[in-house]
Amino acid sequence: MPVCQECRKFYPLENNRKQGDCVQRVVDPRQAYYKAKPVSAEKDASACGEFEKRQSVLK
Amino acid sequence: MAEGALNAAELENKQEWWWLAEKKRSNRLDYLRKSVWKKGALGGNYAPGIKLDLEIPTLFTDMWNFWKFDPVMMRRAKALAHVLDNITIFITDHSQIMGYLGSAPHTIGWRVDGASIVNEELYNEPGIIPEPEDESLKKIADLNAYWGGQTAVDKLARILDPEDAVKFLSGAIGWGAPTSAYGYSGKNYEYFMTGERAFEDIIAEIDRNIEKAEDKTIGTPGPDILPLYDRMQNWEAMKVILKAAIRYAGRYARLARIIAENYETDPKRREDLLKVADTCGHVPAHPPRNLHESLQYDHFIQILARFEAHEGAWPARPDYYHGPYYDKDVNREKNITKEEALDLIGEFLIRAYEVGGFGPRWAREGLQGITGTWVWTLGGVNKDGSDACNDMTRALLQAARLVRVANPTFAFRWHPGVREDVMREVFECIRQGLGYPSIRNDPVLVENAMYWHGHPLEEARTWVHQACMSPCPTTKHGFQPMRMASATANCAKIIEYALHNGYDHVVNMQMGPKTGDARKFTDFEQLFAAWARQMEWIFNTLVRTVNLGRYKDSEFYGRPFLSAISERSIETGIDAVSPIGERGNAWITAFTWVENADSLAAIKKLVFDEKKYTMDSLVTALEANWEGYEEMRLDFVRGAPKWGNDDDYVDSVMIRCLEECARHSHEIKCPCGNNWPILPENVSGNIHYANIVGALPNGRRLGDALYDGGISPGPGLDKKGPTAVLKSCGKIDHVHHGRAFLLNQRLSPTQLSGEKGYQLWMSYLKTWADLGLDHVQFNMVSDATLRSAQRDPEKYPELIVRVAGYSAHFVDISRKTQDNIIQRTVQGLG
Repeated sequence: MPVCQECRKFYPLENNRKQGDCVQRVVDPRQAYYKAKPVSAEKDASACGEFEKRQSVLK
Repeated sequence: MAEGALNAAELENKQEWWWLAEKKRSNRLDYLRKSVWKKGALGGNYAPGIKLDLEIPTLFTDMWNFWKFDPVMMRRAKALAHVLDNITIFITDHSQIMGYLGSAPHTIGWRVDGASIVNEELYNEPGIIPEPEDESLKKIADLNAYWGGQTAVDKLARILDPEDAVKFLSGAIGWGAPTSAYGYSGKNYEYFMTGERAFEDIIAEIDRNIEKAEDKTIGTPGPDILPLYDRMQNWEAMKVILKAAIRYAGRYARLARIIAENYETDPKRREDLLKVADTCGHVPAHPPRNLHESLQYDHFIQILARFEAHEGAWPARPDYYHGPYYDKDVNREKNITKEEALDLIGEFLIRAYEVGGFGPRWAREGLQGITGTWVWTLGGVNKDGSDACNDMTRALLQAARLVRVANPTFAFRWHPGVREDVMREVFECIRQGLGYPSIRNDPVLVENAMYWHGHPLEEARTWVHQACMSPCPTTKHGFQPMRMASATANCAKIIEYALHNGYDHVVNMQMGPKTGDARKFTDFEQLFAAWARQMEWIFNTLVRTVNLGRYKDSEFYGRPFLSAISERSIETGIDAVSPIGERGNAWITAFTWVENADSLAAIKKLVFDEKKYTMDSLVTALEANWEGYEEMRLDFVRGAPKWGNDDDYVDSVMIRCLEECARHSHEIKCPCGNNWPILPENVSGNIHYANIVGALPNGRRLGDALYDGGISPGPGLDKKGPTAVLKSCGKIDHVHHGRAFLLNQRLSPTQLSGEKGYQLWMSYLKTWADLGLDHVQFNMVSDATLRSAQRDPEKYPELIVRVAGYSAHFVDISRKTQDNIIQRTVQGLG
């Protein structure tokens, strides 16, 4: 089961690596932006359409 | 775009202001301006693509429910902190100022705990429900079920007098909600915006107060100790929200750094993002060190206040508070160029423009094209009376012409010491068709604030526009935390009820007191006595309701964030909305006012003086909505004197009505014990009420638009030129008759071009000031342009007009409002 911390869009908090942000690029009809949503590192990502497997191990 | 081929001078000659702005502004500002999702309703409907934000109400409700045993202010603080910690945040390309009320740029906020009646309307609002719609509707239904009966208005409705509640909420006489959940709050800028303190300093101040209180609670028992237990809870709640606000800013700092280090390839943008990270890491925790941080600090505070309540106005004085940072960065230390400062200031306007929250239809119709009256105050005087204009004043006026947003708009505090270069910037904004700044007479309004509410001179001089029009200080005891103007009166009902014995034929209900069968009135004094009683009844009903809402708000709603940025709350531990500690600055917004003077004067002349008609025939014609009485109706339009023509016959009726209101204004008191003067103005209320106000003796029929401004003459009824309008308005005592008086004027853009145009306008303003008027605002767009925009709206998406106390894009307002603006007389000067 893939989890969020295995995704390249996951950025762990420095002081608590079990939590982090899912950072995504969005281009809507008027503007482009990056968005961040807090997530748990262990959250099940199997149903996430944005999941992209991280190539390197998260340090 | 054929205009693209023209140079700036040619565009200016053709008065193609939008294209000129596009040519002059930076690429960054151009991108940011065009990237905005417009939240103002078009007529009454949201634009395609605008969706409700469901993250905020869901996160808020989860935690509100979890902390169900906490006192209300603490419960709200914890629920809001949960929102700030978990809502999706975003950083738009090229942007430098962070913070938004929603999880994506196209979303509008929803004040889920405000009123069930609004929540139910929202459930049925087409177009704004996010996809997947079924899932969203289910979520909304669940939230509505949870909040049913426990929103702020629901709680208040249970204790209101049932008759008052029905009449207040009928939509016939008032326009507002008696709770701080909606409306707006003034801000105690003198406490948090002077550079002396920011959130960490306030937290330290709270800690000291808690420590002192704790010492007392373990000391000698006595009644003075008992309130401290509640106050310590409130202080803790303020700390919770301040700390959450610092974390919220920190989330932006972190995201900016992640983008800079992992995604951004442009070195210049990377540098920008690291600056954003540094800025958001510093404010609001610490006082700003430069212009960027000062603007960001202010914007965070405005957004945070909107997470806490649906704020429909934006009281602010940006040149006064950001001016020192502009001077330091641009003039003295030259840390940034003027152009870089304009980029920041232009974005500061855009960030405010993009904010929006869901409003019920009556609010959207009354504020067509915008989501609230963001009227920012510029100019004026310092506390010592010296000119307060600075380079930031000019920069804001220049930035407004570059970004051309309809919201925020500016209102300029004119005084005799304003420098000419500043006046020319003001004029240039008006000439370029923005419809703002409106011009306010500072000496008159400072005196007015002292007269009506007893604000000391130094405090009165700090005043900002609380919403469209009303001045309010930004001081510890002077600032107003709630929209007391929810006592907004649909004043045309006063004359209507006086003529129908208090009965409302539109809503089919006995509304006002029975003041006698008007058919049997034998002289004008009987009619005027009935008018005065109906006026008192409407004002009393509205004020009673708002007073109770204000009194109970700390219990029914609770404002931890607003309290946390208010000196009196930090000092006492009492909710900022409590009347304790406020001096009082209430006013009754008088919508649809001038119809009273024109109607009374018409009856006086045609019925009682000339005896051309009887009261019986008049009431019969009005009950028939003038149908079958067209000749008589036209006589009441043309054969009776009308306000705005320097005609003492009707002007004296106007003054008598105002004196009667002023008398009663000293009798009715706000919860702070202070007066309730009236403030005649409309937003788009003149259109909203068109189908609610019945036929009137000024010749108006049910369905016709009402007059557009507080003391503006009826459209096309001012036949004697601009000086006559000013002279009529100058007969009003702008200090003692009411709190302020809105005057709309249309001027010819052709006549006011060039140096001669500026000199003409200044002469006009001199007359205006000499006559002691407190307000005037201008539309300077030709009939030809407005009619072209009606025919081909897609060619004029950015055409801005002054509607009332606010500006809007012409294509975003209803056809009826558009027609009403075109009908206003274009005054020729000189």
